[in-house]
Amino acid sequence: MARTEPFQIRIADLRERYRPQREWAEGRGLLLILAHFLTGSGAGAWLFAVPLGSDPGLVIGFFLAALGAVGHLLFLGRPERFWRMATRMGSSWISRGLVGLSLFLVTAFIYLVLLFVAEHKTTLGAILLALSVLGALWTIIYKGFVWASSKGIPLWNTPLVPALYIAYALRGGAAVLILLAGLGTQLGAVEPLEPIKLWLAVSTAVLVLIYLEVMRGSGMTALRSVNLLLFGKVALPFYVGAVLFGLIVPIGIGSFAYFDHVPSGLLALVGLLSLLGDLSIIYCIARAGLYRPLPA
Amino acid sequence: MPRWGMVIDLARCVGCYACTIACKVENGTPPGVWYAPVYEREVGSYPTAKRLFLPTLCFHCKNPPCMKACPTKAISKREDGIVLVDSNKCCGSRACVAACPYGALTFVEEIKGEFGDELTPWERARYPQDGVGTVQKCTLCAHRIDQGNLEPACVQTCPTHCRIFGDLDDPGSEVSKLIREHNGTQARPEAGTDPSVFYLR
Repeated sequence: MARTEPFQIRIADLRERYRPQREWAEGRGLLLILAHFLTGSGAGAWLFAVPLGSDPGLVIGFFLAALGAVGHLLFLGRPERFWRMATRMGSSWISRGLVGLSLFLVTAFIYLVLLFVAEHKTTLGAILLALSVLGALWTIIYKGFVWASSKGIPLWNTPLVPALYIAYALRGGAAVLILLAGLGTQLGAVEPLEPIKLWLAVSTAVLVLIYLEVMRGSGMTALRSVNLLLFGKVALPFYVGAVLFGLIVPIGIGSFAYFDHVPSGLLALVGLLSLLGDLSIIYCIARAGLYRPLPA
Repeated sequence: MPRWGMVIDLARCVGCYACTIACKVENGTPPGVWYAPVYEREVGSYPTAKRLFLPTLCFHCKNPPCMKACPTKAISKREDGIVLVDSNKCCGSRACVAACPYGALTFVEEIKGEFGDELTPWERARYPQDGVGTVQKCTLCAHRIDQGNLEPACVQTCPTHCRIFGDLDDPGSEVSKLIREHNGTQARPEAGTDPSVFYLR
């Protein structure tokens, strides 16, 4: 008898005491992870590019966020109904996120048009820039709350997750600009970012440690999730992606940059690895999510 | 207005899965979608090992987290407490699936036949073809309840009278008496969802 794959997976899940979360971590769920990473990094890049006056940073930030928005659409089961997602602002973080992301994308796009084809140093340009920064902040903040509002999954249902996502989005934004600088675009403009990036990397490492330690003491389900991250099926992307690429290498090279000049190629590598690390941590947290078992 | 709910007496459940099958027949759910699954676990070890069965369904919570998480207002709660998904409004974000502490919602990625890619005539007639890309869940057989004295299919089919259906707001109903007399408990009360399904041990 032919059985479909979801059938077998659900049968297996029904027998698991700690049922894995699959919707946002497998199959098309990977698009959601990618979308959150891209929108976070894009909005972060925009936030840093505005005070640094980095036009390439603005462009790349916008395009990354736009690509993330496309990823969000492709993830939906019925993308043609995406507009309905703005109808429950009162309680749904996805609704709030859609409004924030739309505000960012629309105002950023118009601002970029003004920047490149018209005069942008006008009142309208200033208003658009302010709104785009507000939208970018909104985009960075909402994502963690989407995950944290899942009551059945203890690894996500903690205020530390929004903090972690905000930190990673800012790190991602800085990494995008550092990658651009490493590739030879406005190298001087991002010099102030190097200490900020190191500080972000160190503080994120501390935050990850606090998160794991708090989760270890937050009940059996959360402990199981942490064990999946540290010793289970998610350990490889966690140690290689999130820890090595995302924390150790950026902190190591960032510290070295305090004492000596860092070649632009190495700078680009730091940016790239840092971004890979950011993507990895979002993937790992999504993949390690387990539902609390029903009492039996 | 009643608040429809259910009492599940775990001591009576024999793990026959009749409720699960009756629900699938009644609601025409495709493979991989169960509105009334029975969780099965082994506990202990030989010679004292035993199997536990936990019949479930959507708990039709008084404060449904799925409804709050749904960004499209596709999930609504009727006055009689039944929580329903409108597949015409659902955009398939799966926020409700992640938000539900009880695993009661299923996202339908695609609909395939039980016996291969080609659907049988029954499957063509019963599977909700327009539900692909949306979330589905137990309706507490609202279509049966609305007809009058009919109970949900899982309740009517259960051979051990393990599932009892009734009005939770009526202190004289069988469900209210059972909850009162046998200390009926809700699953995960700490989640603050106030489910309409109570378990007796």
